[in-house]
Amino acid sequence: MRKFKFLIVFILVGLLLVACDDGKKDEKTDGEKKPVSGDDGKLSGEITVWAHPFTADQEVEGKMWEEIIASYEDATGVKVNFEQIPWANRDQKVLTALAANNGPDVFYVIPDQMPQYADAGMLLSLDQYLEGFDIEDFVDTALVSTTWKDELYGLPILQEAYTYFYNVDVVKDIGEDPENLPATWEEFEKWAEKAKEKGYYATSFQGGGSMNGTLYPFLWQAGGQVVTEDNEVLLNNEAGVEAFEFINKMYEKGWIPEDSITAMEHNALWDGGKMLAVQGSGNSVSRMLDQDLFEFVIAPPMKNKEQLTYGTTGMFVAPINTDNPAAAAEFIKIVTNTDNQKKFNTVTQYIPTRESAKDIFSENKYLEQLAGYTQYALPGVIHPEGRTIMPMIQAELQTMLEGNKTPKQAADDAAAAVESKMGN
Amino acid sequence: MKREWNRNAIVYIFLIPVIIHFIVFQIYPFLLSFYLTFMDWKVIGDPEFVGVKHWQHFLSDKLAWKALWNTVMFSVYYIIPTMALGLILALIINSGVKMAGFFKGVFFLPVVTSFVIIAGIWGWLFGGTEAGMINYLISFIGIEPQLFLANSSQALAVLAGLSIFKVGGSTMIYYFAGLQSIDKQLYEAARIDGASAIKIFWKVTFPLLKPIHFYVAITTTIGSFQIFDSAYLLTGGGPNYATTTIVYYLYEQGFTGLNLSYAAVLSYVLFAIILVISLIQRKYLGQESKHY
Repeated sequence: MRKFKFLIVFILVGLLLVACDDGKKDEKTDGEKKPVSGDDGKLSGEITVWAHPFTADQEVEGKMWEEIIASYEDATGVKVNFEQIPWANRDQKVLTALAANNGPDVFYVIPDQMPQYADAGMLLSLDQYLEGFDIEDFVDTALVSTTWKDELYGLPILQEAYTYFYNVDVVKDIGEDPENLPATWEEFEKWAEKAKEKGYYATSFQGGGSMNGTLYPFLWQAGGQVVTEDNEVLLNNEAGVEAFEFINKMYEKGWIPEDSITAMEHNALWDGGKMLAVQGSGNSVSRMLDQDLFEFVIAPPMKNKEQLTYGTTGMFVAPINTDNPAAAAEFIKIVTNTDNQKKFNTVTQYIPTRESAKDIFSENKYLEQLAGYTQYALPGVIHPEGRTIMPMIQAELQTMLEGNKTPKQAADDAAAAVESKMGN
Repeated sequence: MKREWNRNAIVYIFLIPVIIHFIVFQIYPFLLSFYLTFMDWKVIGDPEFVGVKHWQHFLSDKLAWKALWNTVMFSVYYIIPTMALGLILALIINSGVKMAGFFKGVFFLPVVTSFVIIAGIWGWLFGGTEAGMINYLISFIGIEPQLFLANSSQALAVLAGLSIFKVGGSTMIYYFAGLQSIDKQLYEAARIDGASAIKIFWKVTFPLLKPIHFYVAITTTIGSFQIFDSAYLLTGGGPNYATTTIVYYLYEQGFTGLNLSYAAVLSYVLFAIILVISLIQRKYLGQESKHY
């Protein structure tokens, strides 16, 4: 019993120490603040930048970052500590580091993180640092994802545009012309029907994956929207129901594979030449060229009422608790300038977000073609709840595909679920 | 106190690093996350006190209850089959079959293989189209292609199958150790008394493995309540939340929705459930008892 008491006392003392230690650490960080830029507008000190591995060839990528960072350091005199963070669990890493007040001064985010972070007051608004900045050079759709409630929180460095890649052999087999690809839902339906008759699937549908690759592009093409900035849910209006109906039709007619309800990929079917078309972007081009399985052609994003598609945007942002906001903002401006975007996107094979940097793909006709489509590429649902509502909509879509709800019911229930979330 | 110290100093010296580690990485986060359940925490900035709001929300959150139900169903599909499979495999390698070491290695292989790879193979086997391996095989006996992971009534069982396949090898090792420790004389005596092989198994082997049953039951139960990766990798919690388990839901809430306080509530609910089940199992399975 005495031993037990001793142990209890020991643990309590330990806890006390942990608690005290925490306090001490806080004081220490406050006391030893990193050197920062002064009020006179001159930049100084140092900043920490977090980015992720964008390519497999780390040697080339490392050299690229050295050049980009040198261009910043030469221009500002601020020292950059560049840290590469693995993609896996990047959210947790950024959040825990920022919460502990020792996170980066600049980091990379994708569109669905940005409004979530911005709405929680975690990000530094860049507006005050952008006087006289040539923002017009950026592609409009790329800036959509960097803006939340009329404030700009980041500058984009890369963009993608997803659109249909067609297998030329299959196109020929169904008696169509690979030079003349479907541009509207109606034309696509005709091709899909023919493909089905010949024993092919028309396209892939990854119902277990992100809605950015499934419902959303069809919703936007139908002229709809998921939710507005003011929390107005538009999922079940006429356009919304039309998108649900179109997907249901694709599944019922067997244009998309039977397992589309929860599938995460259909690579085997596409690579095996059993599919007419898949949605792809720059990554898919590199993969297709490496594998060299069959010839493919790329169609422009489809149109129903609108010509739109999905394409992510990658941007750099600064946290609100950065010690050196002016230097961080300047880094974001310099890393996304024309020269650095050219360097970055030549190495990573993404599409630059500045019109003036888009001439880097003259040797790759596929990427050059995709670069012309980023103007149609929306970055997903830009809303703080964008990521939370996705599983709710997905569940209703899956229920519809299982045959348990009509498209109208599914759209209504999805809208109701999203509305109840917004009401929270 | 001083005498106590003199007598056991060495023990405490060795314990100190362990206890410090335990306090910093277990007790402190444990208490902090409990505190978090009464707060609205935005990661940056000061947490705001909201009382029992998150606990109340849990009571009315249908999805959380569905996730709990899914987890219970997963346990039903998973615990007994895993124990049975482990025991059967252990009996095979313990039976004196030729190349027992080889079989042991084969049976153990899924345990040491990365879960992501096993899940990939499983997803490929249970593909929901005609091209899926299992669908191809069952077509020979006249069964229509099944949707498996895309069917809300099959998906959870397919995921449980994956976990059974993955974990069966390690339960086999526990049972194998248990089988080895049973006194051979007991078998001899039973045989002299004229007991059949089946009777020997049920009257001698099975009861004497009770400590192993207990250990394996506890670990597989805890494992089944913590199931996350297979749903994350293969179904994304779908179709229609059919494979959303409590930990998957917790992850979604915490790290996708940044609703960390509510995720903390869910983790406490999970903790309470695992604690209660462990205590019940301990009461009914864990008593040391002599059978002879």
